[in-house]
Amino acid sequence: MPVAVIAGANGARREAAPAGDRSLRARAAIGALAILLLATALFSLASGASDASAWAVVRGWLFASSSADPLSMRDSMIVYDIRLPRVILGVLVGAALAVSGAVLQGLFRNPLADPGLVGVSAGSSLGAVSVIVLGATVLSPLTAVFGTFALPFAAFVGGLVTTFVLYLISTRQGRTSVATMLLAGIALGALAMALTGILVFLADDRQLRDLTFWQLGSLAGATWQKIAMVSPIIIIALLATPFLARGLNALALGEAAASHLGIPIQRLKYVAIVAVSAAVGSSVAVSGGIGFVGIVVPHLLRLLIGPDNRYLLPASALLGACMLLLADAVSRTIVAPAELPIGIVTAIVGAPFFLWILLRRRGVLDL
Amino acid sequence: MIEARDISVSIGRRRIIGGVDFDVRPGELVAMLGPNGSGKTTFLKALSGELAYTGRITLNGYDLSAMKSWQAASHRAVLPQSTALSFPFTVREIVKLGLTGGRSGAVAGETEPLPERALARVDLEGFAGRFYQELSGGEQQRVQLARVLCQVWEPVLDAVPRFLFLDEPVSSLDIKHQLIIMNIARDFAARGGGVVAILHDLNLTAMFADRIFVMHNGRLAASGSPDQVLRDDLMSEVFECNLKVGVLPTKGAPFVLPQSAGLG
Repeated sequence: MPVAVIAGANGARREAAPAGDRSLRARAAIGALAILLLATALFSLASGASDASAWAVVRGWLFASSSADPLSMRDSMIVYDIRLPRVILGVLVGAALAVSGAVLQGLFRNPLADPGLVGVSAGSSLGAVSVIVLGATVLSPLTAVFGTFALPFAAFVGGLVTTFVLYLISTRQGRTSVATMLLAGIALGALAMALTGILVFLADDRQLRDLTFWQLGSLAGATWQKIAMVSPIIIIALLATPFLARGLNALALGEAAASHLGIPIQRLKYVAIVAVSAAVGSSVAVSGGIGFVGIVVPHLLRLLIGPDNRYLLPASALLGACMLLLADAVSRTIVAPAELPIGIVTAIVGAPFFLWILLRRRGVLDL
Repeated sequence: MIEARDISVSIGRRRIIGGVDFDVRPGELVAMLGPNGSGKTTFLKALSGELAYTGRITLNGYDLSAMKSWQAASHRAVLPQSTALSFPFTVREIVKLGLTGGRSGAVAGETEPLPERALARVDLEGFAGRFYQELSGGEQQRVQLARVLCQVWEPVLDAVPRFLFLDEPVSSLDIKHQLIIMNIARDFAARGGGVVAILHDLNLTAMFADRIFVMHNGRLAASGSPDQVLRDDLMSEVFECNLKVGVLPTKGAPFVLPQSAGLG
């Protein structure tokens, strides 16, 4: 990338970005976000309902000094088996949701697309709930084949079908209608929720307990097993998205223009839809429906570093992870010792934010 | 060289264009004329691979229907009639999208980066840092042309000629910039590339085109040099109004003057 070199008054050479080039700023922001994420993760590890000191535990690991001390063993368990999985799951889910939002927005050429708003999360929930309720009976072949992966797989399929149908409905001849997309998303989401309702109606008491957390979303059930279950899917989906960045940038000019620039549009769409469905499905499978991360994070970042997806996608992953860890910290502490579901926290912040975007863009958006 | 033989395009059950033969050779600026709805844009979209067609189109000898989008992108660039942008990109970021696919052919180590040079060509120096959505319609059209120029910066690359497809490139421009843009197209052809431009201004067409294709009701009504095509009877019939073609006393080039009914 060409960079203008400006000689300063003292003869020192300083690099400056040419006008309209925000790549340097974007790179700096990604660096800062990485540091912020590290700090947030350490903070989350060190705070919680118990007074267990993460620092003491780390010191214990490093020096293996007081491992016989029962108190430090208890602390070690809290940090290693409760807080650490929760932090890792928060990072994975936050990154998955924020990147999914950014990719959907690029695909639909619209800053209001969000997996929660357009029904993709509801579709994933339907898939997950189907396995919980019907896994032992109707869907037993699925659970037999996929084992513990049956749940995230079903959530993935639910999200995939919803995203695909949504795209077919709202895009005509390369143009996506905002109004159609949002309304179709509402209808698809309502349909998925109605079907989920039927399954809840069929569920027994034990299944009902399992189901309740899907309604609101939570990281509370984080275990190493869940991380092992979804991290391969989420990581693969996230690693696929940088390859979409240039295509999504070109897509901002419209499908025809992107194709004229040499972008294989059909392949781009399919890869994007599968990646988003996999990431959202896996997130829903382990943490339920956490809304608005996918719309708030990319929007803030576009204001800061611009809409170039080569930077927007990694930055969204980092900021999404930070935001979800912070939301989780709030949900753990605001009504301590009880816990507020994290989906409530993200909705209370995210919904007014969504309204603000609508008001700000009212003149520009053809709603 | 681009050759199109017996091209028909139907959208749904409606046939938009039928049986059109067309060609552009390297070094040529070809204009497409015709009234609104005569099928010019539809034909250009078929030529760009954007619409399904029957017939055969070859791009430098390759069958268009068998080309991948990235292969076609290195042979031709397309300027659409208008572009609605979905995100707040800067002018530089838009122009740089022209480097996304295809091969610009820019020489590495040039002192000034390609986006700057392309912006200077379309008379938008100093606009790189502006937001695209805040520009006027004519400025936006010129930014898009700068982007398209980046894609095929060298009219001939590795001895292969490249082509510019321009759909009404001067429709929202003032007279000065109409001339600047038409001269860019002229220059692209003079350096060995080929240009297809849909135009509505008959006098600009007379001034810049090497050959003219006239579309009427989805069919090719006439084709040939400006002298052959710009005739009173043909123009008046195709455009359904009374037009007089004269000859410029200085250069001998034709010009077209509309006649009001009373003066006919």
